[in-house]
Amino acid sequence: MKQKKKRAMEKNLEKQYFVMVLPGMVIFTIGLIVPMFMAFRYSFTSWDGMTAEKPFVGLQNYIDLLHDADFRAAWWFTLKFTVCNTIIQNVLALVFAVALDSGIKAQKLYRTAFFIPCLISSLIVGFVWLKMFSNVLPALNDLLGTNFNFLLLGDGKTVLSGLLIANNWQWIGYWMLIYLAGLQSIPAELHEAAKVDGANALTRFIHVTIPMLAPAITICVVGITTGSLKVYDLLVSSTKGGPGRASTSIIYQTYATAINGRQYGYGSAMSVTLVFVLLLVALIQVKGLKSREVQQ
Amino acid sequence: MAFWKKKEKEQIPSAPYTKGTLLIQIFMTFAAVLFIAPILIILNYSFKTKKELYLTSPLALPSSLQFDNYKKAFDKLNLATTFTNTLLYTAVSVLILALLCGITAWAIARCKAKFFRFCYVYFIIGILIPYQALFLPIYMIGYKLNLTNTRYGIIFMYVATGISFGVFLMTSFMSTVPIELEEAARIDGCSVFRTYFTVVMPLLKPAMATLVIMQAFQIWNDYLLASLYVSKKNLKTLTVAIQSLFSAQTSDYTTAMAAIVISVLPVAILFISLQKYFIKGMTVGAVKG
Repeated sequence: MKQKKKRAMEKNLEKQYFVMVLPGMVIFTIGLIVPMFMAFRYSFTSWDGMTAEKPFVGLQNYIDLLHDADFRAAWWFTLKFTVCNTIIQNVLALVFAVALDSGIKAQKLYRTAFFIPCLISSLIVGFVWLKMFSNVLPALNDLLGTNFNFLLLGDGKTVLSGLLIANNWQWIGYWMLIYLAGLQSIPAELHEAAKVDGANALTRFIHVTIPMLAPAITICVVGITTGSLKVYDLLVSSTKGGPGRASTSIIYQTYATAINGRQYGYGSAMSVTLVFVLLLVALIQVKGLKSREVQQ
Repeated sequence: MAFWKKKEKEQIPSAPYTKGTLLIQIFMTFAAVLFIAPILIILNYSFKTKKELYLTSPLALPSSLQFDNYKKAFDKLNLATTFTNTLLYTAVSVLILALLCGITAWAIARCKAKFFRFCYVYFIIGILIPYQALFLPIYMIGYKLNLTNTRYGIIFMYVATGISFGVFLMTSFMSTVPIELEEAARIDGCSVFRTYFTVVMPLLKPAMATLVIMQAFQIWNDYLLASLYVSKKNLKTLTVAIQSLFSAQTSDYTTAMAAIVISVLPVAILFISLQKYFIKGMTVGAVKG
């Protein structure tokens, strides 16, 4: 009898908790989950975004995507941008964090200096670097009597490196702070113990610091990867996807196809490919986390 | 996650200041100067006249401190409207997010039923798939539900796209909220809702501050969603106005530089005064607790 009463109370509690979760669930479902399913649904139609009817075309959009050179070029650019960013940003952020943690003076001042660029909207960052490359930096050539080519965004061959510079300038400070927090949470005793065992600075870094930084590394790698895959704002104000199509990212291409080109069905199929890649990245992340939990 | 409780560790100079440290200091100073340089250049340009832009070197300082560009930017951005709009969208969205994420995360953390574990995973989907990837269907659903070109529509979307991170952040904070207090309140006959609002919510202040700052900075800087959802002149946000200024002022960009300063200043002030909370929000999960 008593147990029954307890269970009834628990059920009642659960109901109340459920009411608390409900509003968030509803908003999230309408705002993000339903759109995800809409993208799937429309990717099988040739809808133009205007008419009431949405002709079903089966897998035709996906087959077309395979033969679409612009789409492939957009993915190629996005992947190059992502891979380069992930490597450069992680390495530099970690180097900066280690340097700041090495006992230099005025650490906080440096921290702020590196961090400030990430407070600026990507849209503005794109414009600032557009002007940096086209007007400000060439003046340095006159000043120093050198002849560097700073017009990186104007040439299809160099546009990637120009955008990488802009993106790294913006985000290194952000990831550096995460690594710094990770570094400062490593107990000093670990390093002391390794020192007593005769490990030099490099072996200590590889065998003590890196393993202890594992959670920070996961966050940074995944954050930079997903952040680079969704690059759009930066391009709008700097290259507009050009010159030619040299810097058209997948989101930029989807925007051009669907919103400007009125091919909603085809654009939806493009979105779906991006969602799949993001899910793949997530899956790898979950696997990585699991394997580390086993180790602990 | 214990790191919420931990105070920022005192900086113990573990090693003496050696030659190597000095070298690192010099290298980092150099790097920091490179990072700050573009910002100084923006500031410098924002005070230049059009004439100086063409005649003097881009690196030269303006001859006098002029606020003409700022005045022009004020008009061109329609600042009174766009600034108020952006502030309104940001403030209302983060306020709703703070309330909503707190209560959702608490329910998820406290109720052990299977459904709530599912809820957590469900919300995390939003972190794994950022809304930018779904901008097209998000635009379509906004159109369908008549959310586009309305204030509540864009606020709704900022809340919907920010909720995942908020729930993640708040749930990780809940382990630091002592459960005994809640149990005591419950024994005294408090309902779940009253327990939350009178006992738990006051304890969530630091996490809420973190959430508010992180989201405010993201919503303030958002361009994609704002450009999709608002096209009416009186609803536009600062970033959208700045983008049209950028495309209109490609040659005389001193005004654009002043506009940049105007838009970055509020976020910069917010960050510098509340750095502590910001960094906490960023490093959730990065530190072993």
